Amino acid sequence: MIRNKSMKRASLTSAVIAAGAMVLTTLPAQAATPGVTANEIKLGISSPTSGSAGTAYGKIPGAMKAYFSYINANGGVNGRKITLISRDDRYFPVLAATQTTKLVLDDGVFALVGALGTATHTKAYKAAALAQENVPDLFVNTGFSGFGDTTKYPTTFTVLPSYAMEAKIMSKFIKENFAGQAVALIAQDDEFGIDGVNGFKAGALTIASTTLYPQSTLTDARAKNLLTGLGALPGKPVLVMMGTTDVTATILKAAESLDLVSKFTWIAGSVGGDANTLVGGFKVKASTINGMLAASFFPDAKDKKDEYVSQFMKINAKYNKGVSFDNVVLQGMNSAMLTVQALRAAGKNLTREGLISAIEAKGSKFAGAGLVPLNYSTSSRVGYNGYWFGQLNAAGELKPFGGKLSIFTTDSGSGAIQPSEFKRPTMPKNGIPTNS
Amino acid sequence: MKNLKLTKGLVALSTAALIAAFTVAVPTVARAADDCQETTILSGIKVVDIEKCTGTDMNKSKYEIIMPAKFNGTLMVYSHGIRYNVNLPAIPVVAPKGSLINYAPEVAPSEEVAAALLAQGFALGGAGVQNQGWNLEESVEAALQVITIARDKYPKVSKVVAWGNSLGGLAAQALAEQMPGAVDAVAPMCIADSAQSEITYAGDFLWGMKQFFNPAIKGTNYSAGQAGYVEMLTDLGTVLTTFGALSAAITADPVTPQWPATSTVPAALKAIPVRSAILLLGLMSGVPTQSKTYDASTGPVGPLETSFGLAISPALAVLENGAQAAVLAVIANYDMELRYGGVVFDNSKTDYAKRLGDDSDIFVAALTGKTATAGMLGYLSPLNPAAPRVTANAAAVAKMNSVYQLQGKIEVPTIQLAATADHIAPAGAAQYLKNQYEASVDGNISKSGKLLTIWNKPADEYTTFSAAGSPVTPTGVTNGTEHCNYTTSQILAIAKLAASAAKTGKIPSTTAVKAAIKNEPNLFINPNFSAPLLKFRQ
Repeated sequence: MIRNKSMKRASLTSAVIAAGAMVLTTLPAQAATPGVTANEIKLGISSPTSGSAGTAYGKIPGAMKAYFSYINANGGVNGRKITLISRDDRYFPVLAATQTTKLVLDDGVFALVGALGTATHTKAYKAAALAQENVPDLFVNTGFSGFGDTTKYPTTFTVLPSYAMEAKIMSKFIKENFAGQAVALIAQDDEFGIDGVNGFKAGALTIASTTLYPQSTLTDARAKNLLTGLGALPGKPVLVMMGTTDVTATILKAAESLDLVSKFTWIAGSVGGDANTLVGGFKVKASTINGMLAASFFPDAKDKKDEYVSQFMKINAKYNKGVSFDNVVLQGMNSAMLTVQALRAAGKNLTREGLISAIEAKGSKFAGAGLVPLNYSTSSRVGYNGYWFGQLNAAGELKPFGGKLSIFTTDSGSGAIQPSEFKRPTMPKNGIPTNS
Repeated sequence: MKNLKLTKGLVALSTAALIAAFTVAVPTVARAADDCQETTILSGIKVVDIEKCTGTDMNKSKYEIIMPAKFNGTLMVYSHGIRYNVNLPAIPVVAPKGSLINYAPEVAPSEEVAAALLAQGFALGGAGVQNQGWNLEESVEAALQVITIARDKYPKVSKVVAWGNSLGGLAAQALAEQMPGAVDAVAPMCIADSAQSEITYAGDFLWGMKQFFNPAIKGTNYSAGQAGYVEMLTDLGTVLTTFGALSAAITADPVTPQWPATSTVPAALKAIPVRSAILLLGLMSGVPTQSKTYDASTGPVGPLETSFGLAISPALAVLENGAQAAVLAVIANYDMELRYGGVVFDNSKTDYAKRLGDDSDIFVAALTGKTATAGMLGYLSPLNPAAPRVTANAAAVAKMNSVYQLQGKIEVPTIQLAATADHIAPAGAAQYLKNQYEASVDGNISKSGKLLTIWNKPADEYTTFSAAGSPVTPTGVTNGTEHCNYTTSQILAIAKLAASAAKTGKIPSTTAVKAAIKNEPNLFINPNFSAPLLKFRQ
């Protein structure tokens, strides 16, 4: 009996020790979420901040940092301050892979936000094993519809409407407003342009001339040659440019040189149509962009009456000193605000899985500057899903075409193009989200 | 010869070979007597007293064992990488002064490494395998015999580390997997993948060169005897001449270089800058897009900065890497066809568009757009009779694959070193071992914590440009690129970690490993880092 008792005690002791050991061995498995401490949430962005792509899009990380600084100054997110680590990838896929890998493995970020570029991010996503590590990949700045494939990109949420959506809605716009005019398309010969070409097909737009150019090959000489040829089209052809801002600038400057600016009705896609960058960064004449049509899902970055623009301008002035406010800054700040809401929605016990689930569940209700709906759900990782068309004036302001804001939404496939009655959520008080 | 350590794959010990190996482990009468001499070597300014023993094992492989006077108890047995299996006349790049088949034993990757290890008290051993070329089975046997002979002669040997470069790394790993009791730790460096993986890698690139640039390249199916030898030599010349033409074209005009005169592709394809065709071949084969000179991440300051880094640099990297990959394919195909009795390269069912995968989007600018990519892939399609596919000899392939294939059954601590831009044994070979081991752990075959992979990567940006904006070829090698291109200090760090692991039976702690490589900015460890597998494995 005594022996039995001893054995029981021994067994009990062993069980306690074993249980303790289990707890101890379990603890490492419950290691803290990467990039999250009691006081900090570490985020990362790989994007071009130098080189020609940096000229066009280099303001995004700074704008995001500015907004996060503002939030941090106002208590952070659930008591945690946000740190954004920015790495310059110069728009080179190989370097983007390196930088993104470093963000995840060396910097130990919790999530990526605002990565820019299709080729760069395609390479980086795989190289940094974002899927395997379940790293949230938020608000990627590309309209490539392929990133909506949750099998291939299970942690990715894009923010821009897809290029296909843009082309479909543009088709409707052109047919309704420029019927009878020849249409010419100049687009990148990659997933960007191909998405667009497919969108124009879905939108049943007849295009008289399509020119696809490999990225980085549309030189001044080629642009002039191209415009000279297109100048033979009758009337005042509609010339659609679906490319990056530097290429839009190259084409417009070629038109200036050839005195062909007035020959065409110019339409710039959303990616390459920021007036401030065209005029300020690439030295396109203000008179050239005057009258140019552009697609947008945002308010005009110069519209101080817009509550989002107004608030972001204030934040930019204080936390991003010396940087002029434009569509790129607006884009960066808006993505930062979406990020803050996503982090809040994920709750205090922040996990990567929780963040992804929170965006799927609540992302469509996040407040944002977009004038079109956010489309996040358990079945959609694409953010904004529509466009409106405006016309630039010489001051670079984008005003609704025809004086009336007409918003349309659609999908990347064969879905209908529909007018939208979307009511944008009110800007959170002082630009500080309070959602949960 | 050493410039081109053609590494490849794997052959493995068959049961018969295992029996043979164990047979030699028992008696020693079959081998020639050792010739031992006491002498000294210099390690830096330090004089090290050693005993150097040389001999020939029962399979007629020469061996060498060097025992320092102050022995620390650990023997490191080194397996060398692949060597040419034939004598070569003077051939630029490949064998500038000509070369004879090299049967000399090697005990370390370099004399400097050997001296440093001996100075630290390690004994060294290694063989010069009696049968060169793709000799994995013989290499494993030779290493095993070195261990046996050394233990027999020096009972004070308490621990054994098997290590090697390239094919030798594969041999070390194959030895450890099949006979874990023979070694206490393993250190494969720039490990090769299997014979089939490697011949597919190099063979795809060579086949593409033939179709795009020069149909005179034979590539496979070399004749028997002297005629085949001549065909192989002729192919080497043709390949090098073709690369010369490509290089000249790109030098003349890097943006829109012309196709070589030997190309017979349609005019429509020739309208595409030939650099894009080179890149396409590299991407579909898995040739790294970073090379000694080109980082694919830099451009000259000025208007060409983005377009160079985006569209030109990756192609030039493939050109620089591809020259050796193509030479490898010629020599390896010749060797393997002789060894296995027929053509072993096969692309009869290869879907190169699928092989290209996401790279068609990632490098779309460098490939001159989607339209050009589709055109080039169309030319390489199996439906194009102008680009005939190669069908292997099934019996030869079966023979090639009948030998031991790595299983990832790791029982002793294993520390591997692999470069992310190795163009002969791509990093995917190390990743494959890692994957195999993880599967083995998941299957409760191996215990966890026995494999550490140390990666060697080039600096983020390293291409330099002249004042005129031209890329400058570095005078030295760029660490993290090229084949088995490790520094002495990097190799020594790995050797010492492996020796430590041999003593404890465990992989050193992360802290210890980081301390060991803290002065090596191009080395890193991260269990979550993953390199793409060779295309054959994807």
